[in-house]
Amino acid sequence: MLFLNLIKQEWSKNIRSQGFYKNLAVTIILTLFTLYMAAVFLFLGFSLDKILEKVDNKLNPMELFNGAMLYIMLGGLVIRFLMQQLNTLNLPPYQVLPIKRSLLINFLLLKPLINPINYFLLLVVVPFAVKSVVGYYSISVAIRFVLSFVFLVWFNSLTSSFLKRKFGSGLLSFLVVIAVFASIVVLEYFKVFSLFEASRQLYGFIVLKSYGLVLALIFVGIAYLLNRWFFSQNYYPEKFNIKLKSDTTATADLSFLNRFGVIGELIGLELKLIFRHKRTKSILFASLIFLVYGLMFYTKKDFADNSGMLFMVAMLMTGSLMFMFGQWIISWDSSHFDSLMTRNIPIRTYIKANYYLLIAFVLISFVLTTPYFYFGMKIVYLHLAALLFNAGVNVFFFLLFATFNTRKLDLSKSQTMNYQGMTYKSFLIVLPIMFVPMIVVGALSAFVSLNFALWTLALVGLAGLVFHNSLITVCVNVFNNRKYKLAEGFREGE
Amino acid sequence: MIQVTDLQKAYNGVTVLNIPFLTIPQGESFGLVGNNGAGKTTLFRLILDLIEPTKGEVQIEGQKVMRNDAWKTITGSFLDESFLIDFLTTEEYFNFVGKLNHKSQGDIALFLDSMKDFFNDEILGSKKLIRDFSKGNQKKIGIAAALLGDPKILILDEPFTALDPSSQIRLKRFLSDLQTRFNMTMLISSHDLNHVTEVCERIVVLEKGNIVKDLKTDEDTLKELEAYFAV
Repeated sequence: MLFLNLIKQEWSKNIRSQGFYKNLAVTIILTLFTLYMAAVFLFLGFSLDKILEKVDNKLNPMELFNGAMLYIMLGGLVIRFLMQQLNTLNLPPYQVLPIKRSLLINFLLLKPLINPINYFLLLVVVPFAVKSVVGYYSISVAIRFVLSFVFLVWFNSLTSSFLKRKFGSGLLSFLVVIAVFASIVVLEYFKVFSLFEASRQLYGFIVLKSYGLVLALIFVGIAYLLNRWFFSQNYYPEKFNIKLKSDTTATADLSFLNRFGVIGELIGLELKLIFRHKRTKSILFASLIFLVYGLMFYTKKDFADNSGMLFMVAMLMTGSLMFMFGQWIISWDSSHFDSLMTRNIPIRTYIKANYYLLIAFVLISFVLTTPYFYFGMKIVYLHLAALLFNAGVNVFFFLLFATFNTRKLDLSKSQTMNYQGMTYKSFLIVLPIMFVPMIVVGALSAFVSLNFALWTLALVGLAGLVFHNSLITVCVNVFNNRKYKLAEGFREGE
Repeated sequence: MIQVTDLQKAYNGVTVLNIPFLTIPQGESFGLVGNNGAGKTTLFRLILDLIEPTKGEVQIEGQKVMRNDAWKTITGSFLDESFLIDFLTTEEYFNFVGKLNHKSQGDIALFLDSMKDFFNDEILGSKKLIRDFSKGNQKKIGIAAALLGDPKILILDEPFTALDPSSQIRLKRFLSDLQTRFNMTMLISSHDLNHVTEVCERIVVLEKGNIVKDLKTDEDTLKELEAYFAV
């Protein structure tokens, strides 16, 4: 009963957070996305047996699937390690109530298991079991097959939360996880050790023998007991509640920025902000992912003649950091906005600091994409034009649009897939920035030539750089008009 | 020094502050009291140009504060935690604020030394981030940062709450000292009638956005205020 009560209270916590309703548009978009993914998975589930029939004629589809089980487990662990948030029930208010500690811990451990996202892959597994496993074996084998998959999900959820609590989610443990995963793949590739074979044997036993599922349950039990052991070692929340743990401060030496006066100070402040919050750090990693877009597009023959598309890719890459941070450049300061507005910082200086920071972001991204020059002179021209256009034009769009994001951003909270403080506007804003240049380049290169298109955009960008002072004045005026809305929005919180 | 004319602030048609006229001369210590929702913080935010007045204006040294940067050079303020930058260490924060006011490293060190008693050895010298300090210590950090730029005008919202008794007494002495030595103009709001009458020469009582009393502090003021607030 108490357990259900706890679940109910967690639910009301989510429902009653003010962001829930305000963010309806985002929720709808995410729901549509989820439905789309569900459809894709279902489709995969219904066609998986046919795909697997074609792969190998010695093994039947279920045997192949069983061989992949341990890979799914490891891959799942990696993804969970990166994405899954630890379930941190806010313990203190409950600790003082007469609730048994073991109940609270069970709640912490078992609540993630009821999250439907865990069972998303069942959309693939169940149709596959019905269509293929029943045919090759029997209904009871199919049921065991599905159950073994459910147990695997439990095992993964429990193991990853144990590993995360025990070893933390820092960069080092991330690298260790990746290294372990990579070395297993390498061993398989060179036929030193086949995890596939081991997995096939193990899951063959679990699924085909009537008592095989007991083994899978034992694994789940071990993972559960590991967690219990961890909590028995760390009794107080301060030991395991990541949120309560104070970060160790990385005091990087940014004193070289001093030369640039107040603007330098403000840029230094912003850099510290980025490196001292989880959310901004994960965005930093995410923007690195943009950098590999080129590998996908530049190597494909299909895109070679699609100049507009190529330019968009070049623009996204040479502006990756700006595209990720740009429109939040003011919202990042939401928790100390009043401070910046009342201190001795002229508004123009504040806007200028943001401007130079974005320019620096563009330059850094550009330098990081220089390896693509290896793909030929065309890419060099594309990137140079994109650089100028980003630094001369897009930068101002982001500075202007940033004043329309008036929601307070909570930086201390989490990491991947965090949409707190974002509205449908944030999604809409990026669309024209991305697609208008693409259409312009596409049209100009179709009717005149690619060279002409690139020169046009480069010159427009250059003009933006030359007249940056007057354009900054425009941004200052817009900011001044929006200032009270921003201050009010940031004060409201979620 | 500060002049408020015909100032009104309304939210959704409900007027929360209405001050036809108010001047605060240089060097005055101005106390603001009133129950929750009386408009104290709203008035301070209007003076600091953090919200837009529905009507009227605030001037500091003859200049409108709205969308103006000039007043920022002579004003120090601390209203709430959003005036702190909580992901910095205290040293980084004081350095940042000091640099904004064109102070040298030596000036900042000297200033922090003068704050030693007030800080009670708890603020400086640790690598702790401001967000990890207690409310009381955060308040001390905020008040100190407000003073760091040698402001002519100091604006503090509820400076005494969350401070321990010794710190409250130290702060009182400190504020009186600042006023006599530098002739600083001070605007202080407080729920603590004792403290505010001790520190301020003038007390203004706000009720539902209107000024209902404007008193020069003497030995009867505290009694008068207590009588007013006793319902």
